[in-house]
Amino acid sequence: MVSDLLREIRFLAKDRGALFWLALAFVLSIIAVTFGVTEVRDQQRTIAELIEEDTADRANALKGQEDWGGAAYYAFHLAYAPPSEFAFAALGQRDSSPWKHRVRMLALEGQIHQADTKNADFGLVGRFDFAFLAASVAPLLLILLLYDLRAAERTARRHDLLVATAGSSRKLWLPRALVRVLALSLLLLIPLWAASSLVGTSGSVIIQASFVLVGALGIWWLIVELISRIDASSSVLLTALIGLWLALAIIVPALAKVAIETRQPLPNGGEMLLLQRETVNDAWDLPKEMTMAAFLEEHPEWRDHAAIEQPFEWKWYYAFQQVGDLRVKPLVDQYRAARLARDHEAGMIAFLSPTSFVERSFEKLAGTDAASMIAYEDSVRDFHAQLRAFHYPMLFREEPFDRNLLEDIPGFVPSR
Amino acid sequence: MTSPLEARSLSLDRDGNTVLDNVSFSVAKGEIFALLGGNGAGKSSTLLTFLGFLEPSGGAVLVNGKTVGSDVASARSAIAYLPEATSLYGHMNAYENLDYFLNLAGRSATQADYDTALDRVALPREARSRRLQFFSKGMRQKTAIALALLRETPILLLDEPTSGLDPVAIDEFHDLVKDLAGAGQTILMVTHDVYGACQVADRVGLLRRGQLVGSFAAEKGKRIDTETVHAAFAEREAV
Repeated sequence: MVSDLLREIRFLAKDRGALFWLALAFVLSIIAVTFGVTEVRDQQRTIAELIEEDTADRANALKGQEDWGGAAYYAFHLAYAPPSEFAFAALGQRDSSPWKHRVRMLALEGQIHQADTKNADFGLVGRFDFAFLAASVAPLLLILLLYDLRAAERTARRHDLLVATAGSSRKLWLPRALVRVLALSLLLLIPLWAASSLVGTSGSVIIQASFVLVGALGIWWLIVELISRIDASSSVLLTALIGLWLALAIIVPALAKVAIETRQPLPNGGEMLLLQRETVNDAWDLPKEMTMAAFLEEHPEWRDHAAIEQPFEWKWYYAFQQVGDLRVKPLVDQYRAARLARDHEAGMIAFLSPTSFVERSFEKLAGTDAASMIAYEDSVRDFHAQLRAFHYPMLFREEPFDRNLLEDIPGFVPSR
Repeated sequence: MTSPLEARSLSLDRDGNTVLDNVSFSVAKGEIFALLGGNGAGKSSTLLTFLGFLEPSGGAVLVNGKTVGSDVASARSAIAYLPEATSLYGHMNAYENLDYFLNLAGRSATQADYDTALDRVALPREARSRRLQFFSKGMRQKTAIALALLRETPILLLDEPTSGLDPVAIDEFHDLVKDLAGAGQTILMVTHDVYGACQVADRVGLLRRGQLVGSFAAEKGKRIDTETVHAAFAEREAV
């Protein structure tokens, strides 16, 4: 077998057509990886700048405050999901889901979903990252490398001579195709490995990603192998394989997306934002007891401190902010559950489409999948809950304002 | 003694058509047997059954006494095959083609071995490092024959080997084939060239519409009479 592989490596080295496609794969991989690394570095730089500004802005905002309510109102807090060490390979949902927020201790859900209303064009068309290359472009390159291995030899009337000389088809076609599959895999993976070592991606993630790519190419190889056994011309085989690629890479995922979205309707971020704002705005005109009663259902521990005697009190103000969150909670839960359900169903459908499977696998490894972005939103909620837990005792017990205690305001700690 | 090549009541159907019908012959060690026939007579199909590419619908083909279907790889390893249109790789030179195909056959050779084989087929030295796409048909054929020589198989199957060659090249080729047979190689060639077959073969079989309809053997020290075979060939084809 080693001798067969060496023979086919020498043969491949003289095949200009195949070398062109392999060189293209290498160049595309470098471009995809470079783009990913650049984008991730931009995001990291943005986060670093925001962290620096966040501390300075908050110090500035708190400087002139004389009470706990004002301190909570004017202080913004940065929350963010730092890109993982493998995010450069699969930007995934980071293009369409927000990964940074500046939150205040006001009603939260509007602040989270405000970003959803931004134009998510990239979520629609995708980016040319390594995951896209591996999932969609690599199979095309593989098809171009393999589709006419047999047919071209038949056309050149060399097929029988080759097989008769080899003794068996297997001794010829297996090493010839294997060398091409391995060459394509290597040329795609080398830039990925280089970038991974540059940014410090863990070995296990690199190994898993490599397995996903090689496995997917293996599946496509099997498909090409089955189709190219048909005794047809090169052009017929190419048409059939491109058609199959279109079906598996474009049509199946697109139809699945429509079906899943129909099955799992999703309230949009704007709806939640509006409902919450209406609730908060309406609270100004409602009897304060009504607001406080709703608030105390969630926080019975403040029952003894909930009397509102002044026309305006900060504890009432923050109570109706939280009531706004409570009002929108069913929608938020529905939104979250539907996103997870969509993600789950998309995961099942991905078994029908190697393209989707590879893309999802890379996003999962990179922490840029839907579940990771939802986990980030949850971490923002947790952080906001910590802010409330810090401020509520000050507000409800009407503690005297102590500037030194501002040092104890919780800071956002990203999950990784 | 077992014949290196034997067809026993060989029949072959393809797409509902009878291609070969109860054809029987054998080729002895060191013998040159030429199957003569017009277009569609079943000549190339006969060769392909010996190579295991076509499965007989009746009878059997045997290589070195073993049915081909029972061990195709073994049959192929005993045979060097020159197809009608010898299409070695045009983007490789003669040495590279020999190296590739010889390795494919599971053999290896040195540069000196390549040159010896190419000398034997009289391929000019200055041409050997040129890509085959710049070769004449005769030069490509010579390279393919050099490959057959290097493989050192006991059996050689030739499909229209002189088609498209110039007269000098044909004579050189015939001499070479006779040398090979003299060295003990068993040769089965199929051709529609009556003159060429009579020049080189020890025996000639006439194949018509899948049936072996005549056979002529050379008398010791003589060639088969071309006129006789030609007359028989023309008569059979006219039927």
